[in-house]
Amino acid sequence: MRAGFDLEGLRVLARDGRPWKSLDELAGSEEARAWLESEFPRLAPLLRTDRRRAMGLVGAMLGMAALTSCGQPEEEVLPYVNMPEGLVAGNPLFFATSLPLGGIGRGAVVESREGRPVKVEGNPDHPLTRGASDAFMQADLLGLYDPDRSQTLTRRGTASSWDTFLGEAVPVLAKLGAREGEGLRLLTGAVTSPTFAAQVAGLRDIFPKLRWHRWQPIPPDNPREGARLAFGQTAEPRPRFDQARVILALDADFLGPEPAMPRFAADFAATRRVRRAGPETMSRLHAVEPLLTLTGVMADERLALRSSRIEAFARALGRRFGLGAPGPDLKDDEGRFLDAVARDLEGAGPAGLVVAGRGQPPAVHAIACLINAKLGAVGRTVEFLPPVEAEPVPHLASITDLARDMRAGRVEALFIVEANPVYDAPVDLAFEAAMERVPFRVRLALYDDETSAHCHWHVPAAHPLEAWSDLRGEDGTVGIVQPMIRPLWGGRTAHELLAVLGSNPGASARGLVEAYWREARAGDDFDAWWRAALQRGTVPNTALQPLAVTARTSDLPPPRFGSEEGLELHFPPDPAVYDGRYANNAWLQELPRPLTKQVWGNAVLIGPATASKLGLGDGDLAALALEGRTVEAPVIVQPGQAEETVGLTLGYGRSRLGAIGDGVGVNAYDLRTSQALWAAGGASLAPTGETADPPLIRTQDHHAMAGREIVKEATLATFVDDPNFVLGADDAPPDTTTLYPKWPYPGHAWGMSIDQTVCIGCNACVVACQAENNVPVVGPDEVARGREMHWLRVDRYYKGDPAEPLTLFQPVPCMQCEKAPCEPVCPVGAPVHDSEGLNAQVYNRCVGTRFCQSGCPYKVRRFNFFGYADDDAYANQGTEPFKAARNPEVTVRSRGVMEKCTYCVQRIQRTRIAAEVAGRQLEDGDIQTACQQACPTTAIVFGDLNEAGAEVVALKKEPHDYALLGELGTRPRTTYLARIRNPLSDEGEG
Amino acid sequence: MQIFRPRANTLARLFLVGIVLVPLAVLSLVMLYWRSTWATDVGSYVEQAVPFSHEHHVGGLGIDCRYCHTGVEESAFAGYPPTHTCMSCHSQLWTGAPMLAPVRQSLARGEPLRWHRVHDLPDFVYFNHSIHVAKGVGCTTCHGQIDEMPLMMKANTLYMGWCLECHREPEKYLRPREAVFDPDYVPPDDQLSLGRRLVGLYGVQKGRLTDCSVCHR
Repeated sequence: MRAGFDLEGLRVLARDGRPWKSLDELAGSEEARAWLESEFPRLAPLLRTDRRRAMGLVGAMLGMAALTSCGQPEEEVLPYVNMPEGLVAGNPLFFATSLPLGGIGRGAVVESREGRPVKVEGNPDHPLTRGASDAFMQADLLGLYDPDRSQTLTRRGTASSWDTFLGEAVPVLAKLGAREGEGLRLLTGAVTSPTFAAQVAGLRDIFPKLRWHRWQPIPPDNPREGARLAFGQTAEPRPRFDQARVILALDADFLGPEPAMPRFAADFAATRRVRRAGPETMSRLHAVEPLLTLTGVMADERLALRSSRIEAFARALGRRFGLGAPGPDLKDDEGRFLDAVARDLEGAGPAGLVVAGRGQPPAVHAIACLINAKLGAVGRTVEFLPPVEAEPVPHLASITDLARDMRAGRVEALFIVEANPVYDAPVDLAFEAAMERVPFRVRLALYDDETSAHCHWHVPAAHPLEAWSDLRGEDGTVGIVQPMIRPLWGGRTAHELLAVLGSNPGASARGLVEAYWREARAGDDFDAWWRAALQRGTVPNTALQPLAVTARTSDLPPPRFGSEEGLELHFPPDPAVYDGRYANNAWLQELPRPLTKQVWGNAVLIGPATASKLGLGDGDLAALALEGRTVEAPVIVQPGQAEETVGLTLGYGRSRLGAIGDGVGVNAYDLRTSQALWAAGGASLAPTGETADPPLIRTQDHHAMAGREIVKEATLATFVDDPNFVLGADDAPPDTTTLYPKWPYPGHAWGMSIDQTVCIGCNACVVACQAENNVPVVGPDEVARGREMHWLRVDRYYKGDPAEPLTLFQPVPCMQCEKAPCEPVCPVGAPVHDSEGLNAQVYNRCVGTRFCQSGCPYKVRRFNFFGYADDDAYANQGTEPFKAARNPEVTVRSRGVMEKCTYCVQRIQRTRIAAEVAGRQLEDGDIQTACQQACPTTAIVFGDLNEAGAEVVALKKEPHDYALLGELGTRPRTTYLARIRNPLSDEGEG
Repeated sequence: MQIFRPRANTLARLFLVGIVLVPLAVLSLVMLYWRSTWATDVGSYVEQAVPFSHEHHVGGLGIDCRYCHTGVEESAFAGYPPTHTCMSCHSQLWTGAPMLAPVRQSLARGEPLRWHRVHDLPDFVYFNHSIHVAKGVGCTTCHGQIDEMPLMMKANTLYMGWCLECHREPEKYLRPREAVFDPDYVPPDDQLSLGRRLVGLYGVQKGRLTDCSVCHR
């Protein structure tokens, strides 16, 4: 969308109710049309050649084709010297562990092939993941093999050794020990590891004056402070969405990038599944938020509001519930929304729930807590737990103290574990300059990055998949972290570094973790207990017990509203790189962001009216200024965003990380101050008159489909009135409209059902598919040409007013059509049907004519224009370490080969063979596709259509089941359950 | 003026015949080559660091296949024995034999033995031993008379056409499960009736054995 667009005009265009993928498409721009008409509209100009040269190329191709018929290279087989116990070569082993995000442990089960971890899944026994995962967990696997991780211990940038480090550190520590640790500081992110906490406690015996600072850029301060205001005790709210009937999210993106998302999403989805039987159980979600988030997308009622107005809204709601929360009056539309929400919450009573986002000030959290208490919801839809973080402190205050003390020269030695303050601390702290005054600085981290550059010593850290540790989940359940592989590059764990401080430099992380639990657990037969804990992945009876809380109604701090002048700038965590820690992960960088569909970068997000006012459009370069600091970033016009707000996600603009992350996107931390960690008023945005370079890359118009009605949705009331609403005049033709007999599928008939009502668009399935199926990364330039290789994409549609549209997600894998248009057009028979209805793609037959791609109305076929997987891999993606991450059960495709979703045929075959060898029948649920397994909301169900009791059969019998582009008569095996919403207007309100 | 000499007639005829015959001949040569042992490597031995003899160990000593190939009943790979398996006997027998020096070295240094692969399928083919063994495909059906091979060699082409012979008509090749590992097994005269019975008994789904997705993924 270029500058100078006409919002009113777009509104008129959107009035017909057809979903649209982008403002460009809505406006009917030529570029969007080009993407619809041709899968690779920019392909022809790439080949500028005359006839003579073309003939030459054809000749060369024939010659080279002959070369490919040479025999196979000779292979060697290297058996073990001593076979590890329990291993059968060729069969995977599965180990339970926990993976951290923001210090929170997320239970995982890792598939290991001959000692190589190749896939991460959620641990069914872990309360946070319960078998599901998210994009970050899936991508942790790639992070393990990242060759850009630091591989050597360095002293001021030159390679050194652990012993030299000890030689220097031990005397420094001895000197500090003589002064009771005065001047010794430890800086970490949020730590939940009981072993780590016990180690620090032990250190206090040697260094009583040791100070332990905490900083992570997405700190858990506000909810905790809010609970303290509300109840006068230290607690953290833990929402139980599965118990809630009416939810109000105050700028709370619990379905977005958030450590406990898999749990929250699963709980939320449990109240959202609409079936013919019992649709009345559907919960209702209200959201009030400035930027459009995944939570806002799922909301049945949504109000886009500046952050500064959200506190006013919360206070007004508090007053409505009888709290003494003085604040300004609401505007009319806000008041109407509030009335409706309040009535709905009152109606729900103890099944109501108010959640506030981390970015909201403590007062809003306190109001949320108190309203929940008024509703009687405490103990039902929300419980209050002691913080899972060890020795909880407010992060912002902690890092501010540290910066002040360093400037004052009170810090003698600073040990930084994983935190990256030079990059992500509030810019006004001038952390880098302050740190220069510390005489002895040590950093343990995965990457030799911005902070390590300013430390005397950099110690490579072990990746969580290589380390021993323990982590608490959001409910406090401890998961043991066990290594899947020996550290690839000699990394060390935080426990080992702390052991150095504790004058025990030889200690192993495993010994330390085991010793802690040996002591923590009274009772005999520790070894059996320990083995069981490792096997299950969780330590029994470690979940934190809810606290008994009593509401205090006094003490709400006076409102501290942000400026309502100028633009309001927001710093949300990024759905792909979180706070920057995943910036060097190519799977995540190339993952289309759920809403913007941007890849390889971030952008300034503004609402359509603001864009119109400022004369900005998609891809324009704009100068964003706050308090005298300025960054230049490309613009994305985001429908649904509150006007006069600007969003810039965190985590980009890394300068010293690696081949993938360096220089990608714009660093939002350059504008983020300790006064306004989450949102700042008074920002300004001005066009520079230039177009962004590198250009904005978005996949939203790629693989566009044309049809009568691609996505279908309805309100719950419509569904109850007319359960068959999806059956329009344009639906699938009946089976009788063919001259050919129906093809029999006597054995299994695989099929899939995707429930759009619970799909939250989180992208876990996309990364899971990439990891399972060896889908290569192609890099930004190739994505710009429409050549991304994801077998599964999540299409995002908007519907209605561009300023406040309804947002719909539709994951699109191969539909496995029974009448597949790709099959008859292939001259060599590479796409063929198998006897169970799979539309197989035989790579070794494929000669790359791409006819099938032209034939596919769903645009799910992907072509290897280059050897993305090997010879022409992007950046470092072709290097040796990454080869170890590949799934050995899936062919690595070479240049010139077409590929697509196979319904994870390797999983079908593996499970079937195992069942047949064991002499048992396949049962429903035995085979899970990678996308299905990863999905936190169980939106994807796969199974055998010939098995009467299969879940997928039941789902396909639901009245709102529909086939994508069903009118084409392709008879897809993958079908969708239409999105059902539960807005208030159904009940004659709002 | 005579442009063409009489010889030209002959040449023209030869040319016309050649147009037909030469491509046929070239094609036949290619096909012959493709089926010849130069291309298939059937029957030629591969040099190995240790000249392990199946003839001696299987034919002579009667060691079961599964003593070394432990994964064959549960994994896609039959598995190569770890050095420890070799040494379970050879720490007692032939302890000083020069032929076994690489084995002792492997154990002493903790470095694996390096074998040259004899049965090498293309990387896009996913053969699974366990299911074949479970369905009554004997070792010697594919690997030939192992017990008569002093050095390992390929007994069959492993071409797709060869695989399909059995995938189309498994009844011609199946044997009772208890005979799968028997190198001396001789199919009965009424193999077809036995095979048909086994196809039913072992639940071989003949209809889908020729699906591409059975072997290619």
